[in-house]
Amino acid sequence: MNLSENKKIETTFNGLPLNYYDSGVPRVENDNLPMVIIHGTTGSTDTHFGYLFPLISSRCRVISIDWSNINEDKLTLSDLKEQVYSVINMTLEGKKYNLLGYSLGAVIAAKIASERVNDVSGLILVAGWQKTDEHQILRNHIWNILRKENSEALKLYMSFCAFSTSFIQNSSLEQTVENAKKIEINEFIDKQMKLNSTIDITDDLPRIKAKTLVIGCSQDLMVPTHHSKQLFSSIDRASYLEIPSGHGVVYERPAELFQHIDHFISNPERFTDGSVINVRQA
Amino acid sequence: MNKEVDVLIVGSGFGGLGLGAKLKQNNHPSFVIIERANDVGGAWRDNTYPGVECDVPSHLYSFSWKMNPNWSKTFAPGDEILNYMRDCAKDENLLENIDFNTEMLTSTWNSKDKLWHIETTQGLYIARYLVTAAGHLADEHLPNIEGLKDFKGDCFHSARWNNDADLTNKRVAIVGSGASAIQIVPEISKIAKEVVVFQRSAAYVVPRPDSIYTEQQKRLFKRMPSEMNKLRQDIFWAGEYNFIQRRNVPKFVNEAKKTALDHLESQVEDPDIREKLTPDYEIGCKRLLISNHYFPTFNQPHVCLEASALHKVEGNTLFGKSGVRYEDIDTIILATGFEATQPPFAKRVFNDQGHSLDAQWDKGMQAYDAITVHNFPNLFVINGPNTGLGHNSVVYIIEAQVDYIMEALEHIKIENKTVFEAKKSSEEQFVTRLQQMSEGTVWLAGGCKSWYVDQRSGNLTLVWPDFAYSFRDNNGTFHREGYDLS
Repeated sequence: MNLSENKKIETTFNGLPLNYYDSGVPRVENDNLPMVIIHGTTGSTDTHFGYLFPLISSRCRVISIDWSNINEDKLTLSDLKEQVYSVINMTLEGKKYNLLGYSLGAVIAAKIASERVNDVSGLILVAGWQKTDEHQILRNHIWNILRKENSEALKLYMSFCAFSTSFIQNSSLEQTVENAKKIEINEFIDKQMKLNSTIDITDDLPRIKAKTLVIGCSQDLMVPTHHSKQLFSSIDRASYLEIPSGHGVVYERPAELFQHIDHFISNPERFTDGSVINVRQA
Repeated sequence: MNKEVDVLIVGSGFGGLGLGAKLKQNNHPSFVIIERANDVGGAWRDNTYPGVECDVPSHLYSFSWKMNPNWSKTFAPGDEILNYMRDCAKDENLLENIDFNTEMLTSTWNSKDKLWHIETTQGLYIARYLVTAAGHLADEHLPNIEGLKDFKGDCFHSARWNNDADLTNKRVAIVGSGASAIQIVPEISKIAKEVVVFQRSAAYVVPRPDSIYTEQQKRLFKRMPSEMNKLRQDIFWAGEYNFIQRRNVPKFVNEAKKTALDHLESQVEDPDIREKLTPDYEIGCKRLLISNHYFPTFNQPHVCLEASALHKVEGNTLFGKSGVRYEDIDTIILATGFEATQPPFAKRVFNDQGHSLDAQWDKGMQAYDAITVHNFPNLFVINGPNTGLGHNSVVYIIEAQVDYIMEALEHIKIENKTVFEAKKSSEEQFVTRLQQMSEGTVWLAGGCKSWYVDQRSGNLTLVWPDFAYSFRDNNGTFHREGYDLS
């Protein structure tokens, strides 16, 4: 980890260990709301937000949870949501905050925003979705087959799906294989993958009142942009933009992602409700 | 005869050409660019040393409104960049607005007629608005070394290359190990009999991901400019990614350091030389260099690394600060950098009290929105305080500053005013915030002495301490509230 290493707080939830990170107030003081960030499947604060956490913490107080495994065999959206709630309750005590979720974390963030309408001021949904479709089910099905076979191809398949063609082109096969080895697969990931196949928060979305920025990744094979467009369409105060990246935008294009987060933190009102943002080019 | 114009720009490098082009495109009726040399191009005109190339990929190190499908390779050679700038001047019909061989001697704000009076080598100019676009790398830094002026052989700065000096089979000393030196050393070592490099402090050097654009690629860029733009955006965001190293986030600093030290390990055979080439400060604190050819030069028996500064010169004998002597040196090349922290142009710009900008900046340069200075009405400084970057393209910064100026001029016109001046309080507030942003960055916490930091105050005065995009966010738009207009 990095700046957040010494901000790590170890606690428990329902008798099980639960870790989160709290950056404290930023170096350059301002009035920005704190931001809660939620990682995605197979991730953690370190792996998904290793780049973003220290940078967001330069703009506002940032709190990030590491999901914990549960004792039950079946993981539900509610289980992960309650873990996030417990951290929010411990750290923000009824204050208003912004919420950012990435991938499955975006699903949870949207769910929370639909329930805590008075607390969630702003919402950023990065490569999220509202309802799992057949394309995703096929990908998860292939994942399950490779997992059952204990296939060496599993992690490479995950990498192949996670990144854009140009990102993969820029690495040698050797590098890609080496990076893929770092992916950790365990029983908790199995539970997350099962959960991914059953997502449906369609009925929750109209309840979201927060200013929302939906970010789709134009070369996303895992959660293609039609999902982000559905979110954009379903949430009243949403605006939409795309980043030219695969699903792994937190690795591929994290600085560009940070730019949009930064803009949202400093002035959410610059994002007009219902608008598609034409990103200014360099 | 006095020449009267609305806007006078000093310098025809990227800054001057960038603003000139926008003024022209907006049909501005009255502006002139004065240029002390006889050609455009700034640093790219002046630096003609062997091996001169840019360290930023050319598809980004160029104007967004004039992309060039013909760049020969990722990092174009200096002459290609110079030709691109000449084309800009020609294609934008700017040559008629440029007065060559015209050097600014003094510029003085006259509070009676509310105009700038600019004395030049070609006479007096009167202008309502003065824009200095001198660039960070305009004036060479010459070290004060005992005995150097009595040296009998050829001695010249890298930015004033002496093309008459034949280095073939000569014993050549190169003073410095920065961005210019690492390009010069491999080239000179191909022809010189012996080469000595005086290194005051070692530099971090990372691989240079350079490749030649094929005819097929260039044709695609011509037929489909969107592909060229996509490449530009990819380069920009890859550069932005690296800001996190300058922000001093350990995981990313360590990644970068490993890349640099692995590069050194793989390229230099002798462990003693490797040791000498290993920096003793944090990566990014000084300018991070990129080269595939510098380190291997030291594997050759005729190339010697003196890991100390040049201390003194006696006849044709050079002494390192370590005490080691090098005899019978034929040529000394001073690759000793530029006067960036205390820019010489500031000594030539005076307010109505007769105080120079340099005097006002006696604790280090500073400006509101990195472009205007209190006590100096109607002055814009392009490429001045806090406009450098350690991780991305300065042309991007220049474009943001040009946007700012264009907006400011329009605003003043709409309000029917003629004079603007940055409020002192706005400037101080801006600078205080910059100092807060700078705290903990690798430039201040990295344990090195660099030209990014003004030694008089310890403040980071040269570099924008954040992402490049945030420079445009913060300083690409005129902030009316920070000014008094009259």
